[in-house]
Amino acid sequence: MSPPLLSVRNLTVAFDTRRGTFDAVREVSFDVKPGKTLGVVGESGSGKSVTAMALMQLLPDSATVTSGSVHFAGRDLGSLDEREMQKVRGREIAMVFQDPLSSLNPILTVGHQIMEPLRLQMGLAKAAARARAEELLALVRIPSPAAIMRSYPHELSGGMRQRVMIAIALSCGPKLLIADEPTTALDVTTQAQILELLRDLQERLHMSVLLITHDLGVVAEFADEVLVMYAGRIVERSPVAALFDRPGHPYTEGLLHSMPPLEDEDPEVLPAIEGNVASPFELPAGCAFHPRCPYVFDACSKVAPVLAEMSAGHDAACLRIKC
Amino acid sequence: MLIRADNLAKHYPVTTGFFGNKVAATVRAVDGVSFTIERGETLALVGESGCGKSTTGRLLTRLVEPTAGTVRFDNIEMSELGREELRATRRRMQLVFQDAGSSFNPRMTVGALIAEPMHLAGAPAAACKARVQELLPLVGLSAEHAERYPHEFSGGQRQRIGIARALALRPDFVVCDEPVSALDVSVQAQVINLLTRLQREFGLTYLFISHDLRVVRHVADRVAVMYLGRIVEIADKATLYKSPQHPYTKALLSAVPAHRPGAVRTRTEVVGEVASARNVPSGCRYHPRCPYAMEICKTQDPELYDLGGSHRSACHLVNATH
Repeated sequence: MSPPLLSVRNLTVAFDTRRGTFDAVREVSFDVKPGKTLGVVGESGSGKSVTAMALMQLLPDSATVTSGSVHFAGRDLGSLDEREMQKVRGREIAMVFQDPLSSLNPILTVGHQIMEPLRLQMGLAKAAARARAEELLALVRIPSPAAIMRSYPHELSGGMRQRVMIAIALSCGPKLLIADEPTTALDVTTQAQILELLRDLQERLHMSVLLITHDLGVVAEFADEVLVMYAGRIVERSPVAALFDRPGHPYTEGLLHSMPPLEDEDPEVLPAIEGNVASPFELPAGCAFHPRCPYVFDACSKVAPVLAEMSAGHDAACLRIKC
Repeated sequence: MLIRADNLAKHYPVTTGFFGNKVAATVRAVDGVSFTIERGETLALVGESGCGKSTTGRLLTRLVEPTAGTVRFDNIEMSELGREELRATRRRMQLVFQDAGSSFNPRMTVGALIAEPMHLAGAPAAACKARVQELLPLVGLSAEHAERYPHEFSGGQRQRIGIARALALRPDFVVCDEPVSALDVSVQAQVINLLTRLQREFGLTYLFISHDLRVVRHVADRVAVMYLGRIVEIADKATLYKSPQHPYTKALLSAVPAHRPGAVRTRTEVVGEVASARNVPSGCRYHPRCPYAMEICKTQDPELYDLGGSHRSACHLVNATH
């Protein structure tokens, strides 16, 4: 088996806020394999986006990585200085965010913004950069690239803007694409088009994708492997089919059951997960999910479960799994 | 029948010029929409952003004045009411919004927020207080929560507060505008269950506005699909999900991500993106994106053809083959 492209070990990220400090990400370890998609599922505050920002070393000032290491393509990213890291960002690891409007500069044309990384990172001359930019726009299936190059972000629809963002992300031929809720702000028909595009590009360019989402449907369609995060920890790690067939963690099971079906028989009352998402300032002792868990027993409030193997490549952090 | 909307329309002028006095274009947000809602029923309005579903909800409750068309509520013609009568009738219709929290005054306690509509309706303070104590457990909160402030609650709890506030005046009709879209997945199901339980308990009538076709399948009795200000298909839930007829409904349904990996899905193709309500295409407004578009579709605006039962669809092809 080829070595992983990205390897994260024991990553912990602490936030310092006016209300006190807390760990947004706690002892997170995972690998992304070459050419594969790892989906990261979780709700707001689960730490999924903070994990991505920590990888890219783009955390806000209030956050610090208190432990852990990140290896990418055989290099320890933690040992790089800011200039070297700048080269990794964009050229080797690229990002696409939920809201393309806030990532694009409103006063520069789309063409300018696609050509910029080509000229700065790849050192292309103006004419070559322009030709490459038009190629990229065609690659993300934008009709009449030359006209779009001259337009400003506000003149484009949400779906078009996200295509432009993907074109910019792909401009330097990254090995890893981090997509943080790439379709959440889009309408469902546009979402289907963008997911289709990402899948096609990944195959053609042999990229790895780290797909962050709250939507299990998106994961089902796109991911090869899945991490489920709850309150800063990975609670389950699994190949995608096994996660849906045999969820190991009660939280995963709850998420799957609470999604109303589109074809199967519809239950009268949806099986909901009771209670609310734990506050990071007052995390429950033991397993952070125990106050909401339908299978809770005594030990759950005392012992923090670690990931235990259920089958090959499928682990869950629940005390019900006997090692 | 509790609600009857006939040919409802809302057009917004787009003005230009230094004084904003030139009308450059018209946005046809809602453009001739008719439907009825039976008492105790849930009609869902689905569609993508900009299709006019929220504006339709606001037109029904008269938060927005229609450009044309009429709304009858419990056999009362809304446009014929005077100010006082309109206020009294409006109390029987309430709204639940996507993000209830953002509409709350942060300096008011939860109790005061829930009681506010009753105060405005002139209810005495003691009666308001008693009603708040009754409402809190009803929406799954506890009586002590009345003294707390909205920021102390999670998104799901704030939505419960919004629901309690909407129910304070014992309405007959509630417009739920994307009531669970902003909530975490694990909390969505709780709030959906709450809304369906309250409907059963109090015989409420809902207009449920949502872009989420899974949620709609669970809550609705009938579903209307909107596209660019028009209803393009309307049917009871079972029919719409089992045998959708309009190409747009088919595209919407097939675009919903699968329930599990490897599920076999045939995607109905949609080309391009939603046109602008400022510049509505000629003929059938869906024709530039429709894979089955014929010559007639470019010129003739299809009416909602009757397909039997309560199923109607605005498509020339469906009408020709039916």
